[in-house]
Amino acid sequence: MKYAFYPGCVSRGGCPELYPAAVRVAGKLGIELEEMKDVACTGAGVLPQYITDPINARTFAKAERMGLPIMTICSTCQGVFGQANLRLQDPEYRARINREYLADEGLEYGGTVEIKHLLWVVMEDYGADHLKAMISRPLKGLKVSPFYGCFLRRPPEVITPTKETNARKSYLEKLIDIVGAELADFGGKGKCCGFPVLTANEESSLSMTAKHTSEAKSKGADCMVTPCPLCHLSLDGNQPRAEQQEGTSIGLPILHMPQFLGLALGFSPAEMYLKRHIVSTMAVESKVNMMT
Amino acid sequence: MQEFDVVVVGAGAAGLRAAIAAKQAGAKVALLTKVHPLRTNSGLAQAGINAPLGPDDSPEAYAGDILQAGDGLCDPAVVQNFTHQAGDAVMWLERAGTPFNRAAGGRFDRRRIGSNSRARSLYVDDRTGHVVMQVLYEQFQRERIPLFADWFVTSLALEANRCVGVNALGLRSGSMDSFAAKAVILATGGFTRMYLPSTVSMGTTGDGQNLAYQAGVSLIDLEMVQFHPLACPGGKGLMITEAALAEGGQIVVAGGQPIAGLQGATRDKICLAIAQASRNGAGGVWLDLTMIGRQKLHQRLPQTLDLIAKVAGLDPAKDLIPIGPVAHRPVGGIEAGTSGQTSIGGLYACGECACTGLNGGGRLAGNILTEMVVFGARTGEAAAAYAKSAPAAAFPAGRLDEEKKRLDALISAEKTEYTAGRIHAELGALMDAKAGLLRDAAGLQAARDQIHALKDKYARLRVKNQSPIYNYELVSYLELGAMLNVAEALVAAAAARKESRGAHRRSDFPARDDRIGISHTVVRLVQGEPQVDTRPVVAL
Amino acid sequence: MQANFSVYRKEPGAGSKAGRSTYTVELPEDATVIDALLKIRDEQDPTLGFRGSCLHGYCGDCTVRINGKAGFSCAVKVAPLAAKGGEIAVEPIRNMPVIKDLISDWDTFLWDKIDVIKPWLEPNGAASLDGEELIDDKVMAKVRQAMSCFYCGLCDEGCTVLPVDFKFVGPAALTKASRFLCDPRDHATAERLRILERPKGMWDCVHCFEASEHCPREIAPTERIIEMRDMAFKHGITNEKVARHHHSFANSVRNSGWLDEGRLAIESEGLTNIKGLMKLLPTAAKAVARGKAPIPFLHHKRPGADKIARIIEKAEAKEK
Repeated sequence: MKYAFYPGCVSRGGCPELYPAAVRVAGKLGIELEEMKDVACTGAGVLPQYITDPINARTFAKAERMGLPIMTICSTCQGVFGQANLRLQDPEYRARINREYLADEGLEYGGTVEIKHLLWVVMEDYGADHLKAMISRPLKGLKVSPFYGCFLRRPPEVITPTKETNARKSYLEKLIDIVGAELADFGGKGKCCGFPVLTANEESSLSMTAKHTSEAKSKGADCMVTPCPLCHLSLDGNQPRAEQQEGTSIGLPILHMPQFLGLALGFSPAEMYLKRHIVSTMAVESKVNMMT
Repeated sequence: MQEFDVVVVGAGAAGLRAAIAAKQAGAKVALLTKVHPLRTNSGLAQAGINAPLGPDDSPEAYAGDILQAGDGLCDPAVVQNFTHQAGDAVMWLERAGTPFNRAAGGRFDRRRIGSNSRARSLYVDDRTGHVVMQVLYEQFQRERIPLFADWFVTSLALEANRCVGVNALGLRSGSMDSFAAKAVILATGGFTRMYLPSTVSMGTTGDGQNLAYQAGVSLIDLEMVQFHPLACPGGKGLMITEAALAEGGQIVVAGGQPIAGLQGATRDKICLAIAQASRNGAGGVWLDLTMIGRQKLHQRLPQTLDLIAKVAGLDPAKDLIPIGPVAHRPVGGIEAGTSGQTSIGGLYACGECACTGLNGGGRLAGNILTEMVVFGARTGEAAAAYAKSAPAAAFPAGRLDEEKKRLDALISAEKTEYTAGRIHAELGALMDAKAGLLRDAAGLQAARDQIHALKDKYARLRVKNQSPIYNYELVSYLELGAMLNVAEALVAAAAARKESRGAHRRSDFPARDDRIGISHTVVRLVQGEPQVDTRPVVAL
Repeated sequence: MQANFSVYRKEPGAGSKAGRSTYTVELPEDATVIDALLKIRDEQDPTLGFRGSCLHGYCGDCTVRINGKAGFSCAVKVAPLAAKGGEIAVEPIRNMPVIKDLISDWDTFLWDKIDVIKPWLEPNGAASLDGEELIDDKVMAKVRQAMSCFYCGLCDEGCTVLPVDFKFVGPAALTKASRFLCDPRDHATAERLRILERPKGMWDCVHCFEASEHCPREIAPTERIIEMRDMAFKHGITNEKVARHHHSFANSVRNSGWLDEGRLAIESEGLTNIKGLMKLLPTAAKAVARGKAPIPFLHHKRPGADKIARIIEKAEAKEK
């Protein structure tokens, strides 16, 4: 199993704990990664499509040349890529992008690249049974709420184009089950974390942070797990400000999906960089440490 | 009390167009409606809007088709007046932003629907009415006309054969108010909810016709009620647009055999043929859209595809759709001129509630929306002009209090053996059976008697809900009263026309009879009873 | 068929408590939920408040939640729900204030919001006096698709922003705005974008695609909102904060190929906005201390950055 690894900006920027955690987890599982280094940011849904479609087509063309599927570790990267790749399935549009933007560099995108988030890679390519066999530290007694990030849920034509892919909407719950933890399900798991409006409407953004984290907390969650570092910035990084705005105290640790899986694979909390979070992960760490 | 120059009652296409025209003519306008403009029955119109804009078309050719569909009962001068305005009225909609479907080269695409001799209907997929309504509402918003939505007009304020405003119940506030106006425009739509099943919306209950009738204005050609041939009984009267036929659909009997001779026929002929085929033991009649193909259905008839699936549970791309004629729209209504003027000063009517003599015995397919925007605009202008020149008239003192008392007296916890819903159900079944597609003297006599009986029950009925805010029981009660009154007038008109013509078919008088026939049926309320007269159609 | 209903009830007026009423109704096999409600009002409880108009699924007036799923009471059949046994729950749609029972306040929810976005065409004057404007039907189709909206409220019902900020203009009103922005006969694009860029406007959308998923007419409100933002990008963004954010974002990608978040946070807040910057400090300090936050001057260029920059410049030049 080998992938063209697209780590995205945030996994080494705002959430520098994510990149090494993901690399360690992939290594342990025997998933081979060849990192894409000379490629651009996806645009994250911030830059307009007329700019991002060409630069993403460039990334796809490079992966195609490597002969590898792309692996992401961010819901937003995954979503923006997926949406762009869908548009680039139109041969006329693809030909125009190739001609106008990629030809100079001698690149051409043929429309064949497959793009998968690490969560999909472990659930689909690696497989649940295989994964189960790798669990060395079942996270028994840990209550976990899933939080997907919009772009790993919608739009349906990108995320769940076939019947089989419908299962993608419950991969996190399945993962929580596989690692032996307990599900603290809640209604907000597929909603927006608030990050995209942090600039335009901070109050709304922080309200969303508070809403989701307190709802999960009220369902008895010890922590929340997310496959999206932008959600992490919002739910973890902004949690103190959200608490302040709403006048409540929440204190819910937020784990990146690779960190969470890593703990079950036997990595120590330190090896998964849990100390780098804004909201203290002490409660999770002590529970996990008791399991070893 | 609120004061305006012009008060428009009803927010369908005619009401909105009239309000816009009145405002643009300089009047201070308000619009009252019991249902939000974008929820009105005007959205039901789907197939297209007629205008003689094609290179092969002319107002004269258009007039010829209208006269033909009207079966000898159209007023030719009205038809001429109308067909010469239709093009501009529809172009006004285009300028205001209606996204009519385009043909190659970017010009209007046109459908040939019903008995039009030419492809004359501009259209917006299969939601022409829905989209035209949005455009009209956009222009209405642009004019910043006060909208009183969820207001039910309970009575006209009359003073010396002049209408000087209305009393209305605010459903949201639960309180009454009066609206003084120099001119009042009724644009309340049709009344075919008195038939069950029916293609129309819940509020299509003849409120305006009843207000005018009670005020002494004549209702004309009421017996002309158009049935829609393509209604799906499984969807309780869900109407399938005639555009489905224009796109290649066929009406078939068991075995898939098409019924012959329906190409380009008028609605009443298609309805009769379907009824005939059903009676002949054909086992049913279906609309076959399968040959159009899913892709084209999705492209050309998206709403039809969606609604048949959702409401009737069928897939038009592979299922035959059982159909039958269902009561659709009245042709007759409040006697009004081409500027909406009625026999009462300051009282105007336009749109489906009015009858100008344009449609005679049957409305040409694709004409309803054109009629709404042409006469809506003229009526708005005329009402504004009248308001400008009319002498001031005081809103009659004490009228609002009387009206409040009248409504208060309707509310009582006392139990009655009947409910409004049951009376309505009985009326609907009765009208469908006895005053429906085919009528005869005995049936109409029975209908008259039974309507009397229902009116007696209605007189004893009381409104039990004492909570004033959004008292829809009270609204239903008032609507039922209007339907009973108009139904009574309709049955009288149908009994009086002893011939078959247009939408009025008598099994006891199956032929058209021009010796007695070429006149309008005029019903007036005289001492509480409908009195029927005739008025000859004036030749050009 | 017999069916049991549990219907949301609330008397008008602030402070009134919401509750439920239960009813058992005898219905014909093909009955819809609105048939049941009408029958309940007529025979059992005249005080029950709900809306409805066309009865055939095209007007959007009767949207309610039925067993937790938003839909049209005139198009949802009772039989399959009754067959499951138990009560059929009918509630008002979410995110909308309730006036009475199932009657929601469409004015503040939708109509007033649409009113704000200049909901009428400003003709560009290109049409000749006596004929239609020649327009490719593909272009018109996009306008028609937007106008197939029947204001059923499902996109706003699914919206993730409205529950935390009711003043957000919402996807339905933004879809209405898109109807004009994609109409070649309109000439008010710049003005429209300025209106849409106000606070609580299009930049408040989180593009979560819930609206598109909820729309029963495949109008794709989310995609339309994204398209409007791209239009604003082309025209020059007028919302100051958003403009700074985008400018910084674009510059970062242009200069280094990837995102410099430390700089982005600071530049979005505005370098002269002392209060805004102070607000970032506590979190930033904590983040730096824990080795979490990126440090702007450590942000380095990616290989291939010059090639990426060239593509961006080319795309911008082409679109302007």
